Amino acid sequence: MYPYLLFIGITTLMIGWIWGVLYAPEDFQQGNSYRIIFLHVPASIFAQTIYYFMSICALMHIVWRVKLAAYLIKSAAPIGAMITFIALFSGSIWGIPTWGTWWQWDARITSTLILFIMYLGILTLHGSFSNLEKADRLMSILVIVGVVNLPIIKKSVDWWSTLHQPASISTSGSSIDPSMLMPLLISIVGLGFTLISLGILSSRLYILNREKNKKWVLEHV
Amino acid sequence: MFDIAFNTFDEIINMKGHGIYVWLVYSISILIIVLSFTITRMRIKNICKRININNASG
Repeated sequence: MYPYLLFIGITTLMIGWIWGVLYAPEDFQQGNSYRIIFLHVPASIFAQTIYYFMSICALMHIVWRVKLAAYLIKSAAPIGAMITFIALFSGSIWGIPTWGTWWQWDARITSTLILFIMYLGILTLHGSFSNLEKADRLMSILVIVGVVNLPIIKKSVDWWSTLHQPASISTSGSSIDPSMLMPLLISIVGLGFTLISLGILSSRLYILNREKNKKWVLEHV
Repeated sequence: MFDIAFNTFDEIINMKGHGIYVWLVYSISILIIVLSFTITRMRIKNICKRININNASG
């Protein structure tokens, strides 16, 4: 399944990005710098989506002691850290021509930085224990604690006066012109499939590593 | 909607002065994503090799 998802993901992502970067019209206020949106918005969406996925897994691990759920958290966390870094990096570079600064301690940017630190913290915490079952449990608790940051990221632009603009796409509609919205939606779908395929690969690696002495792994490999 | 927004290759690269930001972001991000896949695949290959060696040596 992994190669098919990867193929769908990369093809869709390339269509979205080429459409957005080369064919979408120039923005009347931001000029061509807005073309970073086709990377920044999908990355920001999945930075949070991956954490939501991890929190569901953490709940499953804490409540039902599902071992696989902890494995999935450990596999998803590096991908979450990577995509959050891309969201922060692309936002910073976009800020230079748009805001005149690459960094501002405003609520949206700071809460996203906290999300990135949470991902690194989860990975560090798990890596600091030799007892892996105990590490799984503590990691799940930390993931649950970190969920409080997600509504803060989402609502930060409404609760505080921030330099970051409010959401352009919501359930009630979109303030983006269809000629820009379509490639953006395609990019979101494409990045989603790409990250799911990376997630499958990453979980395969972690399960093999963790269960390498088990009989079923020896038979599988 | 399907007309290219630029007339020349130079315009695509420069994007009226914003090309440096746009291309920098896309190239670094693509590099990070490609590296993530490559490193993960390499690590899977290595661990499979190690498991097979351990398996063969009993």
